Amino acid sequence: MADDIRPDVRDLLPAYALDAVDDLERRAVERLLESDPDARRELDEFRDVVAAFAVEQAPPASVRDSVLARVADTPQVSATPRAGSASGVTPLRAAQHSAGGRARVRWGLVAAAAAAVVAVGVPTTVAVRATQEQQRLEAQADTVDRMLADPSATIVRSDVTGGGEASVLVAGDDFLFRASDLPDAGDDSDYQLWVVDAEGAATSAGVLSADGGSVEQLVEDVPGTAVAMTVEPEGGSQQPTTEPIVVLGA
Amino acid sequence: MRQTVRVPPPVTTNPSGAVDAALAACADGDPASFTPVYDALAPVAYGTCLGVLRDADHAAEVMQEVMVEVWQTAARFDAARGSARTYVATLARRRAVDRVRAEQARRDRDQRDLDTNLATAPRDIVADDVERMLEGAAVRRCLGSLTDTQREAVVEAYYGGYTYREVADRLDAALPTVKSRIRDGLIRLRECLGVNRG
Repeated sequence: MADDIRPDVRDLLPAYALDAVDDLERRAVERLLESDPDARRELDEFRDVVAAFAVEQAPPASVRDSVLARVADTPQVSATPRAGSASGVTPLRAAQHSAGGRARVRWGLVAAAAAAVVAVGVPTTVAVRATQEQQRLEAQADTVDRMLADPSATIVRSDVTGGGEASVLVAGDDFLFRASDLPDAGDDSDYQLWVVDAEGAATSAGVLSADGGSVEQLVEDVPGTAVAMTVEPEGGSQQPTTEPIVVLGA
Repeated sequence: MRQTVRVPPPVTTNPSGAVDAALAACADGDPASFTPVYDALAPVAYGTCLGVLRDADHAAEVMQEVMVEVWQTAARFDAARGSARTYVATLARRRAVDRVRAEQARRDRDQRDLDTNLATAPRDIVADDVERMLEGAAVRRCLGSLTDTQREAVVEAYYGGYTYREVADRLDAALPTVKSRIRDGLIRLRECLGVNRG
């Protein structure tokens, strides 16, 4: 399948350089970039083009002291990109939430399908789980650490229709979704994750690769009130084409 | 931003080896070494944020986060792949677009909560604004090499912070068409600007 979509994905490089792609496409492009030096070079060129739109403007003088003061107190990260990420290619989101841990939780809607949901208060429960989380998620440790440090974080669990169990850790607009004991999706089907907003509009959060019935997906910075998983034709869909087999809202 | 005095166009294509070297040197962890980097690159971060956010306070806020991130990730800057200016402009744009999309999502929710239909499109892009924002941009002279439809698609995506799917919706054009316009538009700009890392 990868060979079939590659020319398409390559065509997305200009839109990617403009940040004009959705989350699923962004991931597809980043996978391409990891393995294809020509694509990286092409992206570098498009980034120069996009940067040519920028016009230098003198920032407010007051900001300077505040940035320099924060810099003096902020440790740097190493050059080595984490496995699976396209950093060095893509600026990481690491620093994004550093200021003043966002307290807003927009998890207002409990989707009707989430009947058996158990919401677990955080931080105590999560703090206990933190060690396990870190061990299992080394590649995502920074983000997950940040999520776990968020006092408004919650975990929600539910059974999956057709078998298995799913849980989601929610902190602000970030979600760590996990499911286990899932039956095989079928030869020409895939599990796909969605972030659903209060009006029921779904944004793809990626096609999930089920490894021995377990899936795990970190979704960053997608506002929504619930996550849902569906079974879609192989390769995923732009919009859900089947009823969700699990919906997790809190 | 609303100044009436015409500022001389900033030199955006100047050989920036010194700034590149300064950013690379910051990776050693000495916060004092970041001061010249801030002075050289904060204006491109701020200008980039303003182009997308068009609000001085928001832009200053996002720019701050961007510059702290530039410090944090200095070790990941690779001058072989692009200039420090492009590196910072890329980071700033990503953050500004994130902000615009988050704000839009919040507005959409508020809108629904208020149950009002006063849908003033907050990210509308006015031609005059675009002209003003492009003043002094290296890309300006090259936009003429694009077809009208290519220019429209690229400008919507750049200044609106839209995905190409959203651009297609707004222009009421087919998705593959808009994707091609953006791609072909950027390819023409690349040629006109003489960007070549081959």
